[in-house]
Amino acid sequence: MKRILLIAVALIACANYAAAQEKRSIASQVIDTLGSPELKWQVPELGKEVTRHVLANGMILFLMEDHELPLINADVLIRAGSIYDSLPNMAVAGMTGTVMRTGGTKSFTPDSLNTLLEFIAGSVESQIGLESGSASMSVMSKDIDIGMKALSEVLRYPVFDTAKINLEKSQIRESIRRRDDRPGGIAAREFAHLVYGDHPYGRILEWDYVKNISRDDLVRYHREYYHPNNVMMALSGDFDTKGMIKRVEKFFGDWEKAEVNLPPAPEVEFKTNPGIFVIDKQLTQANIIAGHLGIKRDNPDKYAIALMNYTLGGGSFTSRLTSRVRSDEGLAYSVGSSFSTTSRDYGTFQASAQTKTPSSHRVLEIFKEEIARMQRELASEAEFETARDAYINNFVFQFDSPDEIVSRLMSLEYDGYPSDYYQKYLDNIRAVTLEDMKRVAEKYLKPDQMTIMVVADTSKIVGDLGDFGPVKHIKLEGPKVE
Amino acid sequence: MRKTILAFLLVSLSAQAKQGEIRIDAKTHTFPNGLQLVVVERKWSPTLSFVIRCKVGSADEHPGITGSAHLLEHMLFKGTSSIGTTDYEAEVPIMAKIDTLAHKLTRAIEKTRSPLYRGDMSEVDSLRAGITRLQEEQRQYVVKDELWETYLKNGGTSLNASTGNDGTQYFVSLPSNKTKLWAFMESDRLADPVFREFYSERDVVYEERRLRTDNEPGGKLWEQLYAAAYIAHPYGWPVVGWASDLETVSREEVETFFHQYYAPNNVVIAVVGDVKFDDIERLIAWYFNPIPPSPKPPPAVETVEPEQQGERRIMVEYDAQPQLAIGYHGPAGGGIDKEALDVIASLLSRGRTSRLYRSLVEQKQLASYIDASSDFTRFPDLFIISAAPKAPHTNEEMETAIYEELEKLEIQGPTEWELQRVGNQLEADYARGMRSNLGMAFRLSDMQALVGDWNYINTLKEKREAVTADDVKRVIAKYLVKNNSTVAYLVKPEGKAGAHTALPQSLPEAGPK
Repeated sequence: MKRILLIAVALIACANYAAAQEKRSIASQVIDTLGSPELKWQVPELGKEVTRHVLANGMILFLMEDHELPLINADVLIRAGSIYDSLPNMAVAGMTGTVMRTGGTKSFTPDSLNTLLEFIAGSVESQIGLESGSASMSVMSKDIDIGMKALSEVLRYPVFDTAKINLEKSQIRESIRRRDDRPGGIAAREFAHLVYGDHPYGRILEWDYVKNISRDDLVRYHREYYHPNNVMMALSGDFDTKGMIKRVEKFFGDWEKAEVNLPPAPEVEFKTNPGIFVIDKQLTQANIIAGHLGIKRDNPDKYAIALMNYTLGGGSFTSRLTSRVRSDEGLAYSVGSSFSTTSRDYGTFQASAQTKTPSSHRVLEIFKEEIARMQRELASEAEFETARDAYINNFVFQFDSPDEIVSRLMSLEYDGYPSDYYQKYLDNIRAVTLEDMKRVAEKYLKPDQMTIMVVADTSKIVGDLGDFGPVKHIKLEGPKVE
Repeated sequence: MRKTILAFLLVSLSAQAKQGEIRIDAKTHTFPNGLQLVVVERKWSPTLSFVIRCKVGSADEHPGITGSAHLLEHMLFKGTSSIGTTDYEAEVPIMAKIDTLAHKLTRAIEKTRSPLYRGDMSEVDSLRAGITRLQEEQRQYVVKDELWETYLKNGGTSLNASTGNDGTQYFVSLPSNKTKLWAFMESDRLADPVFREFYSERDVVYEERRLRTDNEPGGKLWEQLYAAAYIAHPYGWPVVGWASDLETVSREEVETFFHQYYAPNNVVIAVVGDVKFDDIERLIAWYFNPIPPSPKPPPAVETVEPEQQGERRIMVEYDAQPQLAIGYHGPAGGGIDKEALDVIASLLSRGRTSRLYRSLVEQKQLASYIDASSDFTRFPDLFIISAAPKAPHTNEEMETAIYEELEKLEIQGPTEWELQRVGNQLEADYARGMRSNLGMAFRLSDMQALVGDWNYINTLKEKREAVTADDVKRVIAKYLVKNNSTVAYLVKPEGKAGAHTALPQSLPEAGPK
């Protein structure tokens, strides 16, 4: 049963296009009569369903009780990340995050920590990404003291065992060696590098940046950022809130606060890098990503952009790109577009598809046409309503479990959003008009300046990719891992 | 309120909650047409998840139509005579014309495959163009992807469907005020689907095959492993289907397949979330009762895989770094041997204390990744160990090291600690498995379909705790042995070795491209 196939790959979140817009099926008239009783629920709030508590040392807690199952989960965020580091140091943060967990702690050898946690079917994990450090804990509620002890040891007292540092280095080396095995991986990596250049969002990890990392580097990195006043923790599950605060104090209360100096993160310079960038690889399917820099997450147009992109290619099946490329012409299984707004600086707009090599030109043609049409014409009422109603009606699923709720509210604060962000979210969606969708399409889509990444067997492409801009060939050198 | 997941409020505040006190308490009903319903009421969030499981998968196909179960799954999103169309009557003659051309196309393709064929592709091309023209003509009546759009517009999430060897699932999570919409659309597509846009969808599935198998090293390796391990039983062909079948399978063939297997007496529905059993039972009765059961029970899979006659070894060439997969024929789901194999998979590769991880990843550092898997299936399936070597180490070295660990486990047996660890993990898995409505609906429908009793979930822990150290030793000796194995290596194509490798000095010169 490993071999399971789905109707659709997971895309972001539907709408008819052109001729189909005004069509009504018989079923739609029945559906209109089905009705639905009012859904009674409210967006969870701090101070109501979720408690926010700050320890004397500055550590911020978010807590939500839920006694249905005998489980407790914690998610932790630490202000750190490789975005603050220079290119040669880009791997230090990630390695620190991993070896904090695997390399043992003051009280536990690497093996004893694994043994302890796996025996109770619990987990404690740690990592550091581009814009945050994070950790997690999950245990049965009867084992909460073991889980908290392990979590506090990993966050506060990692010892960075040299053997585990070397193991992690060799794991990273192997992943670098394997990075060209999958065409999707190549396309995503090279596209990011083309649009972001040497900004941390576009950097490519090389063995040269890993091989000389020392234990001291990791110790120093940890000492720099892991202080309670730089930490947030979200807890949910089978506990009593007051008791849990006491327990956190027991394990983290004597962690002394210290000054943390986050260096300024380099800013993304907004520019485009137009052209067709081709990587030749023996494949029967072309991997295509076309796009450019998009918006920052605090952009007030993001709601209008969300609905516009839903109609263009974000709303899976009945978005225009899917409708034409997949449903009408059968050219791709996976096709769509996204406007990312998760990172702090400029995200990207991307339209992507995988199609049999000879259809590459046709797919790009449709991409261009549909992006241009989004800018030229108002979407139909039906498309607009579908996008808007989808956003409104599935909002309840953002809050359908306690661990999701506490983690969301914690991330809100971490990312610097106002605390009433979710309360106002639906109003912001409802405020978007059909005209707004066209306006943001004109403003934020740049079909003539797209960076188009194609990973394919170029000898099998039918038609001239030069129709979409100057063609540049990128030769994959193969990673250097010595 | 919480009559379904009981026990928790009673014991949760006690730090010493005894094991096994949480139990899923589902309610069931079988409708007069054979449709089975399993419901768990949960009130935490005003949402609910639905899984409709049809007891049909790729194992029910036959050569020539491989991939049909999966293609059919795609087709069931294309609407009915009332969903997805403005004028079904007008579509019928167009679809008949398409079918005629498609038959001619199949014959033309077959002709071009003959070594005696001397013509060009012009007949194939013009027939394809003819089908495309007719599909465009039909499009004036099609309301594109209406079923999908209606779900999303009404807040549907996790909307999708999946097909495996044993079953096909259609699933969605909805706000709890949308149950009627679900019942209307699902009953309509079970009773009266229309396979419009069939031939373009067949191309979509071919693209899916290219994406997941032809251009994906892991997917390719697994397909070849299964094909080599099975010489008779249908688990040997891929769920997505062989490429040539995807070029020729017809709409009528898939329709026939549909009528053989899609009937309420072959379907299980699981609903988990904010709903009252009586309400959902009444609603389903209203919408699904009119659908008649199939006149004949669905055909059974008669072929039994013959006993393996010795080790099989295959090389799969692909331009990627090496990988290894070893498959051993094991039993179907149910029974102590299967439970023991599940325990063995956990002993071997679950977590950082597991035997293969410790030995191959941490200590010898031969592998960058290793996994052992054992699944609950309808027919005897493979127990698979898969791994990726860490250069300069090789598939060969990993293979030897894996056999050493298996031998060690067979001779010494697992420690008490290890067995206890597996038991504790089962208990926690059980609780974690209940966290998501959709996850629970999958587990319930799976067990109801495969064993005929959702409550099997509640007995898994007990069954697996019955596995002793001696069972582990006995089962390794019985199944995880050379003459029952198929060993698959992913290797670079001849002449391309070293193309992108780090060790050019140790490998022959790259040959001509």
